[in-house]
Amino acid sequence: MKKFFSLQARRIYIALIMLFLYAPIITLIVLSFNSSRSRAKWGGFTLDWYKALFENESILQALYNTLAIALLSSVIATVIGTISCIAINSMKRKSRTVVMGITNIPMLNADIVTGISLMLLFLSLGLKFGFGTILLAHITFNIPYVILSVMPRMKQLNPSVYEAALDLGASPVNAWFKVVLPDLLPAIQSGFLMAFTMSLDDFIITHFTKGPGVDTLSTKIYTEVKKGIKPEMYALSTIIFITVLVLLLLVNKTPSPEKSPGRQKGLYQLTQKPGFRYASAGFLLLLTGSGIFLGMSRIKEPEVQQVIVYNWGEYLDPEVIEMFEAETGIQVIYDEYETNEIMFPKVAAGTSAYDVLCPSDYMIEKLIENDMLMEIDFDNIPNAVNIGQQYYEQSKGFDPKNKYSVPYCWGTVGILYNKTMVTEPVDSWSILWDEQYSNNILMQDSVRDAFMVALKLKGYSMNSMDEDELKEARDLLIEQRPVVQAYVVDQVRDKMIGGEAALGVIYSGEAIYTQRENPDLEYVIPQEGTNVWIDSWVIPKTAQNKENAEIFIDYMCRPDIALLNFEYITYSTPNDAARELIEDEDIRNSDIAFPDLSLYDHLETYDYLGEEGDSLYNDLWKEVKSQ
Amino acid sequence: MSTKLIDLQHISKSYGDNLILDDMNLYIRENEFLTLLGPSGCGKTTTLRIIGGFEKADRGIVCFDGQDISHLPPNKRQLNTVFQKYALFTHMTIAQNIAFGLKIKGKSKAYIDDKIKYALKLVNLDGYENRTPDSLSGGQQQRIAIARAIVNEPKVLLLDEPLGALDLKLRQDMQYELIRLKNELGITFIYVTHDQEEALTMSDTVVVMNQGYIQQIGTPEDIYNEPENAFVADFIGDSNIIDAIMVQDELVEILGTRFACVDIDFGTNTPVDVVIRPEDIELVAPEKGTIEGVVTHLIFKGVHYEMEVLANGFEWLVHSTILVPVGTKVGIHVDPFNIQIMNKPESEDEEVAVFDE
Amino acid sequence: MNKKKLWLSGPYLFWAVCFIIIPLCMVIYYGITDKTGAFTLENVLSVSTPEHMKALGLSLLLSLISTILCLIFAYPLASILAGMNKNQHSFIVLIFILPMWMNFLLRTLAWQTLLEKTGVINNILTFFHLPSLEIINTPYAIVLGMVYNFLPFMVLPIYNALCKIDKNVINAARDLGANGIQTFFRIILPLSLPGVISGISMVFIPALTTFVISNILGGGKILLIGNVIEQEFTQASNWHVGSGLSLVLMVFILISMVVSAILDKDGEGSL
Repeated sequence: MKKFFSLQARRIYIALIMLFLYAPIITLIVLSFNSSRSRAKWGGFTLDWYKALFENESILQALYNTLAIALLSSVIATVIGTISCIAINSMKRKSRTVVMGITNIPMLNADIVTGISLMLLFLSLGLKFGFGTILLAHITFNIPYVILSVMPRMKQLNPSVYEAALDLGASPVNAWFKVVLPDLLPAIQSGFLMAFTMSLDDFIITHFTKGPGVDTLSTKIYTEVKKGIKPEMYALSTIIFITVLVLLLLVNKTPSPEKSPGRQKGLYQLTQKPGFRYASAGFLLLLTGSGIFLGMSRIKEPEVQQVIVYNWGEYLDPEVIEMFEAETGIQVIYDEYETNEIMFPKVAAGTSAYDVLCPSDYMIEKLIENDMLMEIDFDNIPNAVNIGQQYYEQSKGFDPKNKYSVPYCWGTVGILYNKTMVTEPVDSWSILWDEQYSNNILMQDSVRDAFMVALKLKGYSMNSMDEDELKEARDLLIEQRPVVQAYVVDQVRDKMIGGEAALGVIYSGEAIYTQRENPDLEYVIPQEGTNVWIDSWVIPKTAQNKENAEIFIDYMCRPDIALLNFEYITYSTPNDAARELIEDEDIRNSDIAFPDLSLYDHLETYDYLGEEGDSLYNDLWKEVKSQ
Repeated sequence: MSTKLIDLQHISKSYGDNLILDDMNLYIRENEFLTLLGPSGCGKTTTLRIIGGFEKADRGIVCFDGQDISHLPPNKRQLNTVFQKYALFTHMTIAQNIAFGLKIKGKSKAYIDDKIKYALKLVNLDGYENRTPDSLSGGQQQRIAIARAIVNEPKVLLLDEPLGALDLKLRQDMQYELIRLKNELGITFIYVTHDQEEALTMSDTVVVMNQGYIQQIGTPEDIYNEPENAFVADFIGDSNIIDAIMVQDELVEILGTRFACVDIDFGTNTPVDVVIRPEDIELVAPEKGTIEGVVTHLIFKGVHYEMEVLANGFEWLVHSTILVPVGTKVGIHVDPFNIQIMNKPESEDEEVAVFDE
Repeated sequence: MNKKKLWLSGPYLFWAVCFIIIPLCMVIYYGITDKTGAFTLENVLSVSTPEHMKALGLSLLLSLISTILCLIFAYPLASILAGMNKNQHSFIVLIFILPMWMNFLLRTLAWQTLLEKTGVINNILTFFHLPSLEIINTPYAIVLGMVYNFLPFMVLPIYNALCKIDKNVINAARDLGANGIQTFFRIILPLSLPGVISGISMVFIPALTTFVISNILGGGKILLIGNVIEQEFTQASNWHVGSGLSLVLMVFILISMVVSAILDKDGEGSL
């Protein structure tokens, strides 16, 4: 079209853009063959993740959900969208403008606003969050893509064609299907394709409208982003990508039946090739088939006993769930959250009735204060005696009568550092302010943990409600900002393993894992003291299966099970009996996994600070972050 | 009407394996109305685009006023084009469309305004300055396209099937309009069409093209009355094209019957094509004609009757104002000077006529 | 006949009211009430606090830069594509949609792997003894992420708009004496404007409201308005402030909708 640039220059330009577009994709493909679990390290070539992928039921289930939702929502959206195009086309100019304006809203509105507004709607309707709500949301944002694709074609349509069909004796419906529809088909197909793609790629709206136990690939990945992506996910993406690519290449090989130059653009042209039709039909068939197969395999007896568990991401060995289901016959519906703060509103709003939660200390206090927990009947949990007495003592800080909670994991917060980058001894939080390590420090991206570090360094309580103390802490954190490389939560783990940073604030449970992957790393508890935290099992008031919840908690307290979990998640277990079973002496006596707390001063556990305290901390934290 | 304003020398052009023009030579004189006529795919539009500068010839040169302009881009050439389907700028008003070329040249506002008025008057669309192209009918858009081109006072106006999208009546009106414009402006027109009637009505010179070759160049009368080969004869108007043998000078044997003619120099007993226009055939009493036949079809065409007469195994097409009923035995008579003798084409290419319009 | 056809719009209108209009009203309701349900403008006005203003300002700045960069990259690309062999069109266009079939989060995460201090790009640079690229956890990385993720949304509408332009219109401009540059600015650009406009709004708005890209590539050091809203909903569990800020965002979206409605009269922001 333009001859400003030579053919060569144009080719180079396209090649560069392609490189830009495909560099991350190539990276992901390479990562799928990386035998190291860490994104940051190349550990040699392997196909294990592909094997693991097909054994990983939860990813396959997420894949099925994703495809099913994409397919259903785009089909429904295509039908509704096409029908409404007919109507919109015959509207008067004014009402057409209004309807098209409304249609544009979900497309132009921020995803986050759309997601939240739908969440609010579903909440107020009292809908059960899950597959259905995601589907409704996806249909909603898919319809505009269909309408915007079909509408222009509809306008070009020659009305005489339809009239000719009527004239020749066709009924209106018949005329429409035999004559008008074929003309619209390319536009409908490209609208469908667009809708399908958008649905496949959506994260934000799904995030806000999903329920427990129902994950799409996007939400699964987001949960994993914080904990480190499972390489199986790379393998899956690679398979999806290659499949689509091969389909495309096949389609491109089949010649286009018409050589009509001009108006028809990209997607239309593609969708008109017979190859595309066969390929897409085949693809959809395959999809539905595998969907039905997967779906069938998931369908369990309807009257079966259930327990709905809401736990931290990657905080339970999946094998344990299978064992539990096999032994007790109780089906576990498992959902994960990333932070206490994300968990709380979901439980409070009652988007679904969870039976078991695993919040941290201060959050348990908050739940108790809000009268959201049920007393646990310890008679039903004989294995609770395996938990060391000192942990019950510690729990009294937030659960004074040990009525509501059974400890599951505990640990400290400390500094993880790379011995090759930090040679001086590390024993104080103050090293996190050292300019020598500028851009090499990772801070926790959560209010309480960040303020804990600053308050402890100043010698204050980490539960301080004193505004002056907090402002000092805030100023200290602001002062620290320039030397901080990033504020992250669980990514500290991957980044430290990869040698991205020299120092990072981390939970002790992650330290063991990181040391396993990178022996240069060392964990210390600073002398100014730190947070000793406990995550415990609790049963919310809204629970529908209290008995099952107690059976579940009891099962988790069994020494052999606690040991399995410890080995999988590497967070310290309060289960003394389980600790005895640890074979590796180094770990059984590890200072990191089982530190002798009596050796440290100034240890504290978080208190719930009330709504006022929460918003005070949040506001100050926002000031730090927005600097 | 003497100097060669545009001179195409040895122009060849192909797209991929598809040879569009093969060693074409053609010149256009000043103030001439020249029409490139031929079926679609004959190379006429490509020729025009090469003159306009939108395509580069693979070989050969284009001279304008004696200067080689082969390498000049379209904007540097002193000619303007009226495009098929008008190619108006839909995002501009009529006035802005017309002013486009003048603004580019940096003319003063007053001059431009003047020119717009003048051009709109010329094409009978006074007062349309502020309309948008979308609001005009096809014929009106066509006139605007012409106005837009002529305000630049080009030496040559190239017209690429400008009337193709108009209906019959409008097309006829526009034909007169174009002749009037050309006379008023006194510039050279190069006109591309596949419509032989248009070509014959308006042109000073008609160039009949087929398959990338020029078949004949001549005045409309020449082309019509004395087609040089079967293709031209067939393409221009209705005609009876019959295999024949030139027995000797001024005598030709058609379908086994000898006819007197006026052509000479074809040698003796040479196979030739003979063209006889339907209106040149006189139907007479059977015994008075050169050949005897029977009327097989009859259609009333308004100005005349169209008949088919079967004689000597050939269906003769005949136009006559006199009605002869079907089944009547008639004699066919042709005046010698109405028999047009043509050489058989040398190559297959020249013979093939593609009539898909 | 027409009456019957209008009736067909029923399902969609019902859907639109249920799932577009009502949810929107609920956001508005939350935005203008406090926890007790009393009317207040505080949530909306909270945008004027320095932290929020800063986040909003930064969001506007970064999304503006990203939009401009997308436009600069996409326009030549779209015009090269539009000038290509027609038979390859569909394939080339699909090439730009194809990356979307790899999950958005994974793609963005892959950029982290590429850009990190010890990441792929820096390893390559070090190998050639070139200075390393340190843009991860800075606004530059966020802009890169935005451009990367939203570029196809700019390319496709412009490409479609350019394909719609009759080649003879361009020839006509050349014929009337315009050189390449004049033809571009006076003819091609104005005629492709609807595509450009719809491209701009399809890039600017998601860029303005994103929180994922800034989370992953900004290292949590850069707070955009999307992050603030997300945190109000998911962490601070203050839905009222979250909704209030969403309303403020909606004003910007409304502005861009009005602008594109004025500029794109046909209302065919084509995809």
